[in-house]
Amino acid sequence: MKWLELVQVAGATLVSAVTVVVLYSLGVRLTATAGDVSERKPAWLRPLAYACFALCGLAVLFGLYLIIPYFSK
Amino acid sequence: MVALVITLALFFDFTNGFHDTANAMATPIATGAIKPKTAVALAAVLNLVGAFLSTEVAKTVSGGIIREGSDGIQITPDIIFAGLMGAILWNMITWLKGLPSSSSHALFGGLIGAAIAGIGIHSINFESLMQKVILPAIFAPIIAGAVAYLCTKLAYALTSRHDPETGSKLTQKRGGFRNGQVFTSSLVALAHGTNDAQKTMGIITLVLIAAGTQAPGSGPQFWVIASCALAIAIGTYSGGWRIIRTMGSGLTDVKPAQGFAAESSTASAILASSHLGFALSTTQVASGSVIGSGMGRRGTTVRWGMAGKIAIGWLFTLPAAGLVGALTAMLVQTGVAGVVIAAVAGTGAVLYMFLHSKKSHVGHHNAVGVQEAGAAVRFRKKKALAVSRTYNKPKDEL
Repeated sequence: MKWLELVQVAGATLVSAVTVVVLYSLGVRLTATAGDVSERKPAWLRPLAYACFALCGLAVLFGLYLIIPYFSK
Repeated sequence: MVALVITLALFFDFTNGFHDTANAMATPIATGAIKPKTAVALAAVLNLVGAFLSTEVAKTVSGGIIREGSDGIQITPDIIFAGLMGAILWNMITWLKGLPSSSSHALFGGLIGAAIAGIGIHSINFESLMQKVILPAIFAPIIAGAVAYLCTKLAYALTSRHDPETGSKLTQKRGGFRNGQVFTSSLVALAHGTNDAQKTMGIITLVLIAAGTQAPGSGPQFWVIASCALAIAIGTYSGGWRIIRTMGSGLTDVKPAQGFAAESSTASAILASSHLGFALSTTQVASGSVIGSGMGRRGTTVRWGMAGKIAIGWLFTLPAAGLVGALTAMLVQTGVAGVVIAAVAGTGAVLYMFLHSKKSHVGHHNAVGVQEAGAAVRFRKKKALAVSRTYNKPKDEL
């Protein structure tokens, strides 16, 4: 029966898309905050933003790694 | 005959490529994230790469829908020729109309029609058809649309900024999404390669099996993979500007954050289903996502009239391509003369449509009005917003 596979596709889509979007949005938000003109912004904001972008990239690469048969065999 | 069919299959792959460039590249072009020409070049390269990544879908096509092999019906290259004819003609018609219809369904429709007319209704494996084509066709756009809706909501919620003391809105600074779109749209192009290039590989493999040069049930050979990847890449590079216009501005005005969310969902959905061997329509998934992201942002109107037009195009795709496929199959069965007539008529029709398209040229220069779209995104003041709205509204519908 293919219903299970359909559910799998839905789940995988949801998880991966949400992961990527949340991480990237956080990155965008933190960069924006870091760019604000104000004296009381902590110094770790910008590195944290970049960390978010990096994590997002890693998530994408991990997804590709799971899919490409060359690696999973 | 086998050579003719392979040529035709590669041509189908080419039409598939330029039909579907829009899926990956319409939204970033519409938001001004990438220049149109760069976008199609990037999409072409990634399609090429994607085609090599996975061959699950090719196996579905070559070994599921039509019962081939010793225990099933002997499918002949003639039938496949007829099916491809149906698919190509339907693809050209929808391209002329600027409708983002599904190349995959055109292909399946053509093949099924040809098989029914040429062999009989018992040649179709309806169970496999239902499970691997029809069900994903219905659910994939819904899944992608729902996920895109959610992602758009999330993206806007996470990046909405208010002043902690006064509570008034700060500048939102969502420009980062524009750069992000370059990556997500690339992923969609890659995903397209893993799903759509596979269909042609499946067809060529089916021909080779039918002609007896390859064992039933085996996967595509390397030269098949390489030539299909190349054909789809060239097709993508030629760019289907008409459909890019429909997808980029016809359904809803796309902002970078929306585009980012829509593309992430499209890429995830396609890659996940490619992995399981579902031959779904990348076009339908992408359209679903665009609509979903349109609903996810307040103040965006989805043009349901246009969405309805596209949906009707989808409904017609299977039967229409099937009809052409069936007619061609009957013609081909009359003998060599029939094959010649079918080939000449098909080429003539394609040429006619190509020439007809020249009359109302839609190229990279006027695909979505990049300048206006860019202005719509870069707004900071209310006035600029109003101006860009009046720019974008009266887009002539097709």
